[in-house]
Amino acid sequence: MRKYPLLIIGGGLSGLAAAIRFARFGQKVLILEKHSKIGGLNSYYYRKGKLFETGLHAVSNFAPPADKHAPLNRLLRQLKIPRRNFVLHEQYSSEILFPDRSSLCFSNDFTLLQEQVATHFPDSAKPFAEMVSKLDQYDPFIPRPKISARQFVSSFLQDKLLVEMLFCPLMFYGASQEDDMDLSQFVILFRAIFQEGFFRPEGTIKDLLDLLLAHYKSFGGEIELTAGVTEILTENNKVSGVRTASGEVILCESLISTAGVPETKKLFPSPDTAATFSQSDVNQISGRLSFIESIYLLDKSACGNLPRDRTIIFFNLSEKFSYHRPAEAVDLGSGVICFPGNFQGNKEDDTIQLRVTHLANYDKWRHAFDDDDKTLYPAMKNRWVENSKKVIGKIVGNYSENIVYEDSFTPVTVERYTSRTQGAVYGSPEKIKDGKTNFENLYIAGTDQGYLGIVGSMLSGVTMVNQHILNKI
Amino acid sequence: MTIDEIKNVILEIIQDIDDEADFTDLKPDEALRDQLDLDSMDFLDIVMELRKRYQIQIPEADYPHLATLDSCVSYLMPRLEAA
Repeated sequence: MRKYPLLIIGGGLSGLAAAIRFARFGQKVLILEKHSKIGGLNSYYYRKGKLFETGLHAVSNFAPPADKHAPLNRLLRQLKIPRRNFVLHEQYSSEILFPDRSSLCFSNDFTLLQEQVATHFPDSAKPFAEMVSKLDQYDPFIPRPKISARQFVSSFLQDKLLVEMLFCPLMFYGASQEDDMDLSQFVILFRAIFQEGFFRPEGTIKDLLDLLLAHYKSFGGEIELTAGVTEILTENNKVSGVRTASGEVILCESLISTAGVPETKKLFPSPDTAATFSQSDVNQISGRLSFIESIYLLDKSACGNLPRDRTIIFFNLSEKFSYHRPAEAVDLGSGVICFPGNFQGNKEDDTIQLRVTHLANYDKWRHAFDDDDKTLYPAMKNRWVENSKKVIGKIVGNYSENIVYEDSFTPVTVERYTSRTQGAVYGSPEKIKDGKTNFENLYIAGTDQGYLGIVGSMLSGVTMVNQHILNKI
Repeated sequence: MTIDEIKNVILEIIQDIDDEADFTDLKPDEALRDQLDLDSMDFLDIVMELRKRYQIQIPEADYPHLATLDSCVSYLMPRLEAA
């Protein structure tokens, strides 16, 4: 029987980072990935000979090379990847747009957002500055009881519209809880998006994943694809190993699961061990937030209509911005519009890419998908996507006549390819900040540990290895 | 290992962690952390690298002994001889 000092469930970014971190010190480690490709929530697929990315629009946590303590640079040092190996393209600017009410622009220079707040909400400029200085002193990685971010922000800012506008991008970019978030999560997102900002590494997510994988293998790291873990095996309060889909038992000293807390719970073969892992009901701790996303490739003639200096537009048309599972299949009242080509120094392509994301109701899509009438799901998808085009066209200019290719994925698609229960890309609202579980050698890394975004999830993997595994060798 | 050799090992490890680290004005009796802008994660790398190269185990409680170049030398000298 094979035995490893460390096994990792999931070849997404947190799993890869954890594995690189451990392999880098000459240690044997094996990643078990269920899917045939690595990347997890941030992966890719091919259609018509073209590569399409899933997940990645823009990476948050931009930092210049000189800022050594910034999460991005710290991460690269920990993984022993020289920063100069990357060409990074910064965003132009992004916008929080509540049409007919207000708009706030922000970029990788935080002073722009401060100026925008001062211009559009002059009465709030001073309390906003006070709130920011409070946030600067807050350490979001210390385990502590949940604090409502809404209450915190509202205690500084009286203007309800401003509060909604500030929450809008942060929620879309990482909130796993409906309509509110833990203050720690808010601090992480506020820094990652407003204070640090968006960028893209040159190339596609595939280039980044290929680089990470080659780096991992150069340290002797091992990975198996289409090798999903079907069972976590335990002895007393310890994990002894796992069983994979092929029936093989692989033993381990330590196990890191990046599958998510509810997803990990489902891997315990007996109700007793599952209860030891977590008392919570799987359905109660599963995230309720999922999305429908459309990718459009537009011909160049659409250029004239579309904004060229906006990287992402976070919009809300409804009276009140609501971030929860919609009653209908899709909430067209709000969303994210992203132009992955609108980054500084990006090479011009022969087409323009546009991505549109809305909140979606997992149950509605699941029912349609499971229905005996197989035309129901595609028809429903088609109808909602057509309606979305009309809504988005009013915001950025009509583009429906310039589409040369389009594809959309629903919460059901997300669930199928990422194994995230109910397609909840940001995971469970219950985060395990220290990564520890009731099994002494089982740790949680990734989205459900509470770090967010690509840089965040990778730091999560690194941190779990630093804190819990390296001291055992 | 001589004092200078140990110092060189430490500096080499730090250079490996941060290839832009500048040792020109480094004072051996002042904290490495402040002078070279290192954080706790970087310190863990120094510890792990020493373990990898010389098989010496440095318990977490002893990390403060690695604060300056001089204290590194006095802490590591007997341990490297034993290794």
